Parts: sequence; structure tokens; C-alpha cells
Amino acid sequence: MQAYSLDQPERLRAHLALQHHVYEVRGDGQGGQHWELVSARDFTAFEPAAEPPPFSAKSFFFAERELLFRFDGGQFYSTLPAVEPQVLFGLHACDLQAVAYQDRFFAEDPHYQARRQATLLVGVDCLHSCEGGFCSIVGSGPAVREQRADLILVPRQDHATDWLLLVASEAGHAALRGLRLPEATADWQAERSANQVCVAEEQGPQQEIVDGIVSLNAGKIDAETWEALGLRCLGCSGCTTECPTCSCYAPQDRLNAPASMQRERVWDSCLYQGFQQEASGHNPSATPGQRVQRFWSHKFGDGFKAQFEAYGCVGCGRCDRVCPGGIGVHGVMQRVVHHD
Amino acid sequence: MIDLTPRKLLLLDHYADGEEARHFSLRIDKPLAGDLAVIPGQFFMLTVPGFGEAPFTYLSLPDQQGRFNALVRRMGALTQGLFEQPVGAVLGYRGPFGKGWPLFFCAHRVLVVAGGCGLVPLAGVIDEASQHRLPLQLSVIYGARHSAAQVLGRERERWRQTLRFMETCDEAKPLERQGSPLDHFDELFAAEAPEAVLCCGPEALMLATAEASLQRGIAAHKIWLSLERRMHCADGLCGHCYLGTEYVCKDGPTYRYDRYLQVRGAGYPTATKQDQRLC
Repeated sequence: MQAYSLDQPERLRAHLALQHHVYEVRGDGQGGQHWELVSARDFTAFEPAAEPPPFSAKSFFFAERELLFRFDGGQFYSTLPAVEPQVLFGLHACDLQAVAYQDRFFAEDPHYQARRQATLLVGVDCLHSCEGGFCSIVGSGPAVREQRADLILVPRQDHATDWLLLVASEAGHAALRGLRLPEATADWQAERSANQVCVAEEQGPQQEIVDGIVSLNAGKIDAETWEALGLRCLGCSGCTTECPTCSCYAPQDRLNAPASMQRERVWDSCLYQGFQQEASGHNPSATPGQRVQRFWSHKFGDGFKAQFEAYGCVGCGRCDRVCPGGIGVHGVMQRVVHHD
Repeated sequence: MIDLTPRKLLLLDHYADGEEARHFSLRIDKPLAGDLAVIPGQFFMLTVPGFGEAPFTYLSLPDQQGRFNALVRRMGALTQGLFEQPVGAVLGYRGPFGKGWPLFFCAHRVLVVAGGCGLVPLAGVIDEASQHRLPLQLSVIYGARHSAAQVLGRERERWRQTLRFMETCDEAKPLERQGSPLDHFDELFAAEAPEAVLCCGPEALMLATAEASLQRGIAAHKIWLSLERRMHCADGLCGHCYLGTEYVCKDGPTYRYDRYLQVRGAGYPTATKQDQRLC
């Protein structure tokens, strides 16, 4: 990878904003964080959040609600999203791993790919672990992997005043055209390695996660344990909404006029009671425990890992933060391993 | 890239065929080459505008003009919406999807076990065999709750002429066979033991059939089932039809029993090399 010294990440952001819609996560001053459009004239300091924002990049590609086609009573008309070149600026390694996971899952989905192919990803390495993260355990971070982003920002541990900018793709290289940057003189590989060691130490061995994954794949978690966990699931879909790799959806038909209609798809959740229920009433996942088991098997099952070359869990810890029943990833693994 | 937009499908005709069930004649507008390559046991997605989209199996396969038949039982809002459509109505079609029944296996004597509407996905295989286009000696046992719930009246009459076709009802009238298809397994196996079993019906019936067949010496790799699952996309994306790490819409709906057990994660021993042979 080519490495540059970057005096101000804001300069890079403004440069990209000349030809793209640039989005960045910003605090709203009231404890909330949201993706916001940033103009080329906006020089607000770029401050990567210490915690992953509530919403990952998922909805930029896999829209929460999406028009699929229209029907006028006689013909069906496909609709694809109108896309503009866009940049997601400052994505953490865990969320970029999730984008890569969904890139594979939605490889043949024209709606997803239309947006994805118009997007430049600018990642940022983490110097410290977020509170509930375990990226070092599942291998998603804290350093952004080469194929996961187009450009990678590396903050410095020492008192250096600049940032490092790594070019990770042809598209990233092309996007820098017109921006004069000096080559990096620092030993950036060594700095990134040191950062990874630091974050891994902060995250610790996370033995319950490691042991829980082994138990799950060995079929050692019995139905009774899953049902006990299922009792704590409210079926609220908080986890599936915030999980950056969850991808289930449901179609919704909407009548526009007597003879015309349109079909949309909306995010769905495998934790809803009726998710698999058939018209006959037969429900292959009728109990909450079965549905909770499904969710976690999808995140940590070796069968899925074999297909995607990565776990469906990227270690961001959002499920822990959002689950009102206390069965986010640490809650589940603790109960599974320690039989709490 | 996948296409989630249906193509135009015309409702040509229909007639009542069993309790709350109708036999529909349909025509794909401007059929494509792929429409003529359907294998019995595959399915299509039917859009009833304003009511949604759901999977249905082919009762007969599309011809050069795109005409084919389907059997639909009224179960929910979508099928109710379909039953209200007039002849000539424009519906939506996507397909074919999924994996069909095996047609080139070496077993000669094949037992078909069907329950309720589960006879429909098997109709293509039964038709082929009854017209001697498959080198199979097919026996069929068809179970239903009672005779009024039986479907495919005209097809059954035809099949009875050329095949060993046995019918049984849970609530039988005098002179009708009584009980589930499984109640007649001893008789079926005593006459001429089948070498392979194809089964479609309620999941409990299929699993019981598979186990009963195993007990009678048929290997798991010679038993086939067709699973019903809720499906919305048929492209393995919406997630609804999951079975273990697979999606029934793409990897099924037809499963070899050993494969089904493996996918379901029932701890069934990994198939040996010998087990993996089809013949």
C-alpha cells in the first residue's frame, strides 16, 4: 500500500466532497450520533468516535425500505435506485468487515450493488478499544484490512501532528488525484502493529466469547439453555436492526390506485415469531429459543464462516448495547459458558 | 444479477379441484428459453397484485406457448386474492426456482408417498412415469384427511389406469382405505419392496416416511423429500426459508434425506463415500 502523510483529515474530506456526497458520523450534542452529509466547505474537526455509532453503514447499501417495482395493471416496471457517487468517511474496521460480508451476500442484488459500486470507503484504524468491542477476537480489527476500504486513515499514537493515509485500492488512488501529499516517512506498518497489540490487550482474552463459539459449534448448548435465553428475547428486532451484517427482509405490496401497485422490501427480523410461519400455520422456528439459536448460529456458526471466510459477528458490541433483555453477545456467551 | 420484478402471467382458466382448492391454467407472456427447462419439483413465484407473492409448484410444466397448470388451495390473503381474480387477469411470474426431483437415478422400483397438496409437486414425475418416459416402475400412495380434501381428481383418474395408485384417508368412508400412508407400508413393501422413495406432504409425514423407509432397509441417500417453507425472494436473500446454513429456495426444496439431516444439524453421521453414490 502507498502511504502518505496527511496534515489534516479535514483536507482530504473536503477534497473528496468536491466530487462526491460525503457522509460522516457526527454527534448531535445530545448524546446521539447520526450520519450527516458534509460539504466541501465544512472544516469541522474530524474526530473518530470512541464507540461505534448506533447505525453502521448497512442502510447506505441495503436500504431499510426500498422500492422494487411498479405495476400499472398491465405491465411490471423494474426500479433501481438513482445513485450519486458517495463517500463514507471514517468507518471503523469492524463496520468495514461487515460491508465486505454483505458485499458477498448481496453480490447478485442489483439494488445493493448499484449503491455499493458508487461508494468510496474511507476507513479509520482504532487506537483504543471501544467499551464492548472484541474485534481482535473475531479478526475484524482494529486495523482496517487492505481489501476492506479504498483509503485508510491511521491516527498516530505519539505526539506527531499528522495522520497517515494509506491507499488501498485503485478507486482510492483515483480519488486522491489533485491532492498533493508528501509520502509518509514513518514506519507505518510498525505503528499499526503496535496499535493492534494495544487494542488486543485492552480487549483481553474474552474467554467467554471464545469458549461460547466452541460450544455453539460443538452442539453443546442444549435446547433448554436456548429456551431460557429465548425467554429474555422480546422480539423487538433491536439486535437485527443494529447488527451490521443482518440482512433479512420482507416484501410489502402497496396499492396505489385500483389497478396499480408497487412492491417494496423492508428490513425484517428472524427473531419475530412469524418470520418462518407458513400459510398452513406450520412454523419451523415456533419457539423463541429456536429463533435465538438461529440468530447466534448465523453469527458464529462455522458453516457460515466457511461460506463467507469470516464470522457473521464483527465484534462491534452493538447488540449488547441495544438488547433490553440482556442477551447481546456478551450476555449470551456468559450464560452459555457459565450456565448463569 | 437477480431480478425481483415479475413478468406478466395470464390467468387462462380454473376449475374446482378438491376442498378449497382450484386447478389453474396460466400462461407466461413471451416465454423465454429458461421457462421451458423446468424440472418437476421446482417452483415459481406467483404475484397476485396487491396481495403479495408466494411460491407454488408446477403441476404441469410450461409448454412452447408458456402455458402451464398449478393447483392452489385457499389458505390466506394471497390465495384468497387469487381466487377473486377473473379469467384474463394479469398476474406476476418469476421462475423457475430451486432443485427438482431426481430423474436420472438408477432405482427402478420407486415409491411415491404424498400427503394432501403434497401430491402436486410430484405430479410431473408421476406423469412422466405413467407415460413411460422414465425407466421407472412407480407405485404411489396418496393420503388425505378425507375424500373431499383430495386434489388432482382428473390426474388421479388418469394415473390409476397406468400405475399402482393407492389412496387412503384419515377419515375413510366404507370401501376406502383408512389411515395415513404409513399404515400401509407393510403391504406396499411386502408386494414389491421399493428401491427409492420420493415423498411430499406435511413435514411430520415426510419425516415419519423417511424413518419408516430407513427401518425397511432403504438407505437415506435413496429417500427424497420436498420441504415447504415460507419464501419471499426465491434467491436466497430474504432469509425466511433458512434451514441450517442453507436456504430452501435455492438449495431445496427437494432434499435427499441424508443431506437434509446433515443440513438440519441433527448430528447425522457424515455420509461415507459409498453412501454418496446415487445408484
